[in-house]
Amino acid sequence: MNTIFDAKLKVLDLSMGWAGPLVGQMFAEMGAMVIKVEDTHHFDWWRGSLSMAPAEMQPIERSAVFNTANRGKRGVTLDLASPRGIEILRRLIKVSDLLIENFSPGVMDRLGLGYDAVSAINPRMIMISMPSFGSDGPESNARGYGNTVEAMAGVTGLTGYHDGDGQHYTLSNALGDPVAGLHGVFALMVALRERERSGRGQLVELAQVETLIPFVTEGILEHQFIGKAPMIRGNRHREHAPHGLYRCGRTDDWIAIACETDVQWRSLAKALALDHLLDDKRFADAQTRKANEDALDEELSRALADTNLDESVKRLRACNVLAAPLNSAPAVMGDPQLQSREYFVPIERAVVGTHLYPGAVARMRETPLSADAPAPLLGEHNRQVFREMLAMSDEEIAELESSGVIGSSPRQYRAAS
Amino acid sequence: MRYSALSDVRVVDLTHYIAGPYATKLLADMGADVVKVEPVQGEGGRGLGPKRGSGDCDRGGLFAFLNLNKRGVTLNLKHAGGRELMTALLEDADLLVENFAPGTLAEFGLAPDALLEKFPRLSIVSISNFGQDGPERDGRLNDLVLFARGGWTFPVGEPNREPLTPPGSLAQYVSALYGAIGAMQAITARDLGLGRGQHVDVSILEATVATMIYETVTFQYTGALRSRAGKRFAVGPFLIVTLRCKDGYAGLHCVTDKQFEGLCDLMERRELAFDPRFDTALNRMINNDALLEIVEPFFLCHERRWLYQEGQRRTIPLVPIPSVGEVLEWEQTRARNYFETIDDPALGKIRVPGTPLRLTSHRAEPSRPAPRLGEHNREIFGGRLKLSDAAIKALQQAGTI
Repeated sequence: MNTIFDAKLKVLDLSMGWAGPLVGQMFAEMGAMVIKVEDTHHFDWWRGSLSMAPAEMQPIERSAVFNTANRGKRGVTLDLASPRGIEILRRLIKVSDLLIENFSPGVMDRLGLGYDAVSAINPRMIMISMPSFGSDGPESNARGYGNTVEAMAGVTGLTGYHDGDGQHYTLSNALGDPVAGLHGVFALMVALRERERSGRGQLVELAQVETLIPFVTEGILEHQFIGKAPMIRGNRHREHAPHGLYRCGRTDDWIAIACETDVQWRSLAKALALDHLLDDKRFADAQTRKANEDALDEELSRALADTNLDESVKRLRACNVLAAPLNSAPAVMGDPQLQSREYFVPIERAVVGTHLYPGAVARMRETPLSADAPAPLLGEHNRQVFREMLAMSDEEIAELESSGVIGSSPRQYRAAS
Repeated sequence: MRYSALSDVRVVDLTHYIAGPYATKLLADMGADVVKVEPVQGEGGRGLGPKRGSGDCDRGGLFAFLNLNKRGVTLNLKHAGGRELMTALLEDADLLVENFAPGTLAEFGLAPDALLEKFPRLSIVSISNFGQDGPERDGRLNDLVLFARGGWTFPVGEPNREPLTPPGSLAQYVSALYGAIGAMQAITARDLGLGRGQHVDVSILEATVATMIYETVTFQYTGALRSRAGKRFAVGPFLIVTLRCKDGYAGLHCVTDKQFEGLCDLMERRELAFDPRFDTALNRMINNDALLEIVEPFFLCHERRWLYQEGQRRTIPLVPIPSVGEVLEWEQTRARNYFETIDDPALGKIRVPGTPLRLTSHRAEPSRPAPRLGEHNREIFGGRLKLSDAAIKALQQAGTI
């Protein structure tokens, strides 16, 4: 056994964007055979828009995010508006183990592939539905993607500057998506174990917003205990100071600094030649530093303004102060700890060439996860998958191609449902 | 809420604070038998979250949430007797989950390799700041520093002031998920044919970077680096933005052509969809500032609720931005019975998020409150390990439990 599933587990991934595709991608990391099903009309919207470049540039094969979230999958296309497309999908369902979908509620039913129908075709199938706000309830039909899911989970309402005018900000990474995806992987692993015991598949439902709400439980409890919304703290901490981002030098270089103890504060003051502040009553302990945080931040900003970022980080870490550079993408990729653990993995992919991609997170010695296979081109594996999984003849495949049920070139872009 | 799907999985939980306890909570919510092992003075995270009630309250609200559905014992691992009991607990365990600094288990005489050899069916999940090796393995982190280093903070905030860090401990929870998945991966591999357990190493820094694919991969493709764009997610071929409205803020996620047409219709400016500045995604990126200038004043003179209803009617992902209090009262979470009321022995009735995973193979049962310090000592040491009452008493007196 080289991987957890050694290609014995077959996964149908009908999902688009990030949340659902991440589930399929992580099963591919475990060695499952993951089939990404797209439609030449309704291809994954994370491939981007055909209008972004001329057709010969193949713009929908140049999406960094699509090419990251769909690594290791086989790509097939099926026209899901045609009865023959649905019929082939049903045949795939019969020979697969997991089905991932994150359409709006009701779409699978309209395709005639609600869970009951799926289960009738294959009682061992485990199906996961990942609607934004749930498959029932008054708002089940509301649309939500990463950032709007994040808002409805209460995260955006907590994000802002400590001295802002109430303006909220959206996180930089559409956190709702990967968090929903990770929950999806966990749920399917649990359901697979359950299937080993019972022999039966099941429907697992996960509302994306509900996966993210637990991350703000502290604020939810504060609201209950104190009766009002928690303070928006920005870069500041409830108890500790200093705790913030300070500019180093004249460019857009910033350092993050946190002192959690008086000892760290004294080390910081000495390291920045701010010895005179050590006797300053305003900064004597955490409580007074918090009370005078504006003045404290001013002192630190002045002391750091003419320093070099890397030197400051090094100096502060040497005296046990928590410090890090504000890393841009290339700086993250150059992080010495990440490099030492070879976190990023090189992958060569058609159309775009070789790049580094984030690797699998869990390190397992006996059954290593592998995140180093490329994402499929649209319809790239039609022939291979239909031949191997459904024993189709070359003639049959050619006929499907000519009648437009399968294909490998995009048709006019339309929004995903 | 809890299901009993994993009732045959035994977990020894040596975790503390957030990342470890949330990982084992995910397992406990799915029915795993999680025994939380704390030092005799309690784990460091007992005080996390707001408190209320009497002065001798042994927990903050966040601890009460993170440790639902677990049983709790105390053990002094610095005592030989404590280590012996630990070893006995591991005898028939499937998983040991821990988030100490790397090397700490070995200091307790519980070096992972030795444990795996001694207990072949056991897997160990370690969640740590930087992973179990590398030059900074022993380094320290907090959320502010982690977000800055891992790339989450760089593109957030106003261009003319300091970047803005995400709120709370989000990345600790993300790491917990990788830990819980790692636990399932290890026992799945064991049961599918490997036959033995293994050590799973999760780095919080790597978990943070893994969930930031926009920056690292996109930069290599295009050479473009997203910079702080204020209320916008970015200046791109879309309008993802947090907008002030008449009575608060609303979030707009306008990406596809269809969503843009919907937005134009909402504003009664259908002609904008044909305006050469905005007629394609590419043009909407080039003229993103001009587009924002049109959208902003429209939002400012409408109410959140109206924008939400009318936007959603046109299938635009447009939402009112709720406070956490509003999340708690949202009709959708109410209709789905999402929040669960826990009768906590120290804090009284608290409402907390229920499990986000709905299995149809089992019925959801109410959660059990987080354990008091050493609450299940007798049950576990007497019941599972068959120690006599006298032996338990002696261990207590020696300060071992």
